[in-house]
Amino acid sequence: MGSAARTRRTLLAGLAACAVFATAACGSSAEGGSGGGIQSTIKIAQVQDQTGAIAYAGLGASEGAELAIEEIDEQGFLGPGVKVELAKYDTAGEIERASSEMTKAMGDRDVDVIIGPAATQQAAAVAPLVGRQKVPTVFTQAGGDGVVVNDYTFRATPPMESYYEQVLDHLKQKGATNISVLYNATFPTFALLGEDAVPEMAKARGMNIVQSLPVQTTTQDFAGQSQQIAQKRPDALVMLLIAPQSVTALRQLKDAGYDNRIVATSVQAAGNIAAAGADADGLVYPVPFSTAMDGESSVAFTAAFREKYRKDPTPYAADGYDAMWFIARAIKASGDSSREGIRQGLATVAKEGFTGAMGKLTFEGNDARIDGALVQWRDGKETLAQ
Amino acid sequence: MQNLLNAATLGSIYLLFALGMALVWGTIGILNFAHGATFMFSAFVGHLVTRDTELPFVAVVLIAVLVGAAIAALIQLLAFRPILKRSKNQHAAEMRILIGGIGVAAIPLALAQHVTRSSPFGFRSSYDAEVIQFLGLRLTTTAAVVIVAGLAIGIGLTVWVRRSRQGLALRAIGVDAETAAGMGVNRTVLAFGTMATAGALAGLAGALLTFQLGAIAPETGDQLLIKAFAVIVLGGLGSMAGTVIGAYVLAGAETLVLHLNYGTWVDAVSFGLIFLILLARPQGLFGRKEVRRT
Repeated sequence: MGSAARTRRTLLAGLAACAVFATAACGSSAEGGSGGGIQSTIKIAQVQDQTGAIAYAGLGASEGAELAIEEIDEQGFLGPGVKVELAKYDTAGEIERASSEMTKAMGDRDVDVIIGPAATQQAAAVAPLVGRQKVPTVFTQAGGDGVVVNDYTFRATPPMESYYEQVLDHLKQKGATNISVLYNATFPTFALLGEDAVPEMAKARGMNIVQSLPVQTTTQDFAGQSQQIAQKRPDALVMLLIAPQSVTALRQLKDAGYDNRIVATSVQAAGNIAAAGADADGLVYPVPFSTAMDGESSVAFTAAFREKYRKDPTPYAADGYDAMWFIARAIKASGDSSREGIRQGLATVAKEGFTGAMGKLTFEGNDARIDGALVQWRDGKETLAQ
Repeated sequence: MQNLLNAATLGSIYLLFALGMALVWGTIGILNFAHGATFMFSAFVGHLVTRDTELPFVAVVLIAVLVGAAIAALIQLLAFRPILKRSKNQHAAEMRILIGGIGVAAIPLALAQHVTRSSPFGFRSSYDAEVIQFLGLRLTTTAAVVIVAGLAIGIGLTVWVRRSRQGLALRAIGVDAETAAGMGVNRTVLAFGTMATAGALAGLAGALLTFQLGAIAPETGDQLLIKAFAVIVLGGLGSMAGTVIGAYVLAGAETLVLHLNYGTWVDAVSFGLIFLILLARPQGLFGRKEVRRT
């Protein structure tokens, strides 16, 4: 072999070695620097419903998250010149779509952390993937089982049953002894509440469940159940239904002659009960966030949201806001915006807790806990329930 | 007795929704999976109009009926007719029409979901339902209207399809479109008119159901589609009387299951019942057995 050929081979080998080293370096920085440090751009994927049956949850979270990003960037919270970028992936209300969009987001090496699906069924489907791919994921809503299942899954919205006690306390205070439960047994969060949590809480307070009426998500007419409840005349009804069902149920309960107390859930928030008109007056339900809350951080969030969007924030916006600030605090705590660095930071912040739009957030493991607020709907708005 | 009234109301809701679908499927052979979207979007337009202006009951219903007819006519013109023209025969077109309907239905659904963010929507109307009490039974005025409308239109349509010349022409298209055309039946005009009528019925159902339930969601139409499909198959394809009976049989089964407090088993029991009936009578309760001459 001539010297020219030898030279060519040496040059080619040298180029190949450089290419390998360059690729390794790029791969390292996509994982967040050489084992530490905060990148100049932090990419966060929001994999939630932007369309579909619970689009209001995903769209609301987007608005809250974008407000938080604005504040984080303006304050230079993560350091001078560090920007946060939000990439949205639409799960469109479908479990299969949630899996494929999560896979896409996890496959993007620039994505450092994910805000995961708000629907329990979607979240539970992707939670194991998240652990296998080692991508820290903060879920909002998704209050059912099977979501916070490994070190990489966190939940910024507490499960409903963790702040539902105050509803039963409220009923006890109002003198309720006999309670009926009307619940959507095919909606995971409501099944859990209706079959386990509410009966346990009622028993602990000396209240009796005199009637338990399960329905499906496809149930649209509640005339029969309303008449059964009216005939039983309980002191209170615990109504655990999705938004369109609750509008119909409230109307038909009135038509059936039931006029005692009704308590519901945070699904009735965000104006979802407005379509019921006067039939919803007096409805009491717990929320993780309401514009009626008077804590300093909640008031500040409400004011900032109103200024940016010229409308009131929903609990979903508060979720998204707190989830984004949870992530920002995590990055600051660990000083590392790599996936592993963010995971460690989230675990650290969870141990300490923080204050956000929902008030003081503490954590049980990776799962948020709050006091929440009990609100009453009347004349088209929420006020704190007495 | 109260349960019978509840079943009658529920059955009338299913009937009002299913009638339009049964009419086109049983006569001109179009299985229209856009029927649910037509139903929902008619009510949605009523919601948009009444957002700013409170309207009386009749006005809202009229708007929904007209919108439903217009949507269905457009679907026939822009989707189903071109599919039929490009297909060798009716049989070849069936699957394409089915898929086409599903595709078309996605558009009004997406629009409504975008505007409402999938929150429930209703009407702002000067109409307020009252409760009628008699013999210990309770019935709202809306439920009474739904029952009367369902029965009147169901029976009226059954008689019309069976006894009128246009009904005969429609049934002829359903049996053999080519021969019917050869006998002087104007397929295009009749198909167009039938689809528009079905759309009007969907709009009527949309308005009445929204008044009855207080509000619907963009996904409500799709949920009812499966029930309508079951009602038509149970009653027997091609039989309007079967659709009428099928709606009340399904509603009766569901009401019984709910009364026994097996709320999560409603769909399983109802569709299980339909399955059992079809095992015994594959053509449905009132359908005719198909005879093929070889």
